[in-house]
Amino acid sequence: MKDSVITAQRKRTELITLLVCFVIANVVNLCAIIAYGTRFVELVTQLGYVVIFSVALYICWTVLRLIYYGIRSVVRK
Amino acid sequence: MDRRDFLKNLGAAGGTLLLASPWLSAFADVEHTRHSKARIGVVGPGSRGRFLMSFLKNNPKAEVVALCDIYRPSIDEALKMYPQARVYTDYRQLLEDKEVDAVLIATPLDVHFPVAMAAFEAGKHVFCEKTLGITIDECYKMYHKHLDTGRVFFSGQQRLFDPRYIKVMELVHAGTFGDIEGIRAYWFRNGDWRRPVPSPELERLINWRLYKEHSKGLMTELACHQIQVGSWALRQIPNRVMGHGAITYWKDGREVDDNVSCIYVFDNGVKLTYESIISNKFYGLEEQILGHLGTVEPEKGKYYFETIEPAPGFLQMVNDIEHKLFDAIPFAGTSWAPETANENHGEFILGKRPQGDGTSQMLDAFVEAVITGKQPPRIAEEGYYASALCLLGYDAIEQERILTFPDEYKLNYLNHHNPTTA
Repeated sequence: MKDSVITAQRKRTELITLLVCFVIANVVNLCAIIAYGTRFVELVTQLGYVVIFSVALYICWTVLRLIYYGIRSVVRK
Repeated sequence: MDRRDFLKNLGAAGGTLLLASPWLSAFADVEHTRHSKARIGVVGPGSRGRFLMSFLKNNPKAEVVALCDIYRPSIDEALKMYPQARVYTDYRQLLEDKEVDAVLIATPLDVHFPVAMAAFEAGKHVFCEKTLGITIDECYKMYHKHLDTGRVFFSGQQRLFDPRYIKVMELVHAGTFGDIEGIRAYWFRNGDWRRPVPSPELERLINWRLYKEHSKGLMTELACHQIQVGSWALRQIPNRVMGHGAITYWKDGREVDDNVSCIYVFDNGVKLTYESIISNKFYGLEEQILGHLGTVEPEKGKYYFETIEPAPGFLQMVNDIEHKLFDAIPFAGTSWAPETANENHGEFILGKRPQGDGTSQMLDAFVEAVITGKQPPRIAEEGYYASALCLLGYDAIEQERILTFPDEYKLNYLNHHNPTTA
């Protein structure tokens, strides 16, 4: 089995992607608080759900990217 | 909650608790009575009697010095707890025993009255299991005998000493749940209520709860506890009652109903509904106190406010998106949806799941009262009305009529005034 190499550039890209997902999740939470008129303390108390939502976004984004790269490699062949 | 915690909480809460439950003043001299002892004779140490004795056993200020029963196996079991206790088969002999300060009566219901009356006459303090008597007249005479002799008089209404009920009443009386608009009480069991009988001639003595000469069935054995919760919460005595009862399932030769339902009406129109069935136990037992701001279920030890804090915005949003995506699209559906109960998990009254039922504290209070000789306020009156109301309900069921509380059996208590004594 071949060793896999994850480059520093790749790590940086993935971390930034995850961070962007986390920020989006917080913005969604903020919108929900405003829309439903609930308390702003939920920005902190609902962090657990926000983190889960961030991971879900990240997974979705990763699946989309895998599909995109998969199709691209098939087309290039 | 153990004795130490109970007394500590009592001291901390002080006046507010005594306002809702003044009989707790029985514990006022708890330090001064530290080295004293109440000598108690138990008349009827059957299963209930021994259950009560098990709490006395844990109280260093109480000692069971005499036992009386006509059924030897009950005496033998009781002697395992108190081997030194003197044994009698006639309660009159026990009452002549100078070493007995107080009697605890846990006999079949029809025997309460003669034993209690003789005990008061003999100068003994009395703890009588509920229901006090088999007729309202008996209860009334017992209450007045207590007044005439000045002896301490408790009845087995343990909820009056249950910390969660005490807390509930403090909150109810403070208006926390708004105006109390109704009380629903029920006790459901699934069992024949029978005890094993070693020989047929003992059937009526051992299964006394099933026969009208000894008991009034579900109303006197179960309802008595719960109807009292209603008058405690509303600080009123209901004046009218209607009801119906029948034997619908356990058609085994019993005489008392296995399915009863009553409506008690207070002067302001608020109603207490009571229901008991012993062929289905799904809902168990409860007294639901319904205020316009909230509901209390003291048996579960929980309260629920009508308006509950909304779910977090994030979860509401996820929920709404989910409904929009997956709910079926209605067309030509109903224009009315049933008003189903809210999913409201409530809060524990004492912050945790209930433990115990107040029996231990009730007996501790009785022991304190026996030692000091002081009758705690309102405890005898609460016991009297708990008994009188369940018996009035029984009479309404039997007569299939709406009955009004008879003036001649009213005490000068809460909204009641007796015209002959006022």
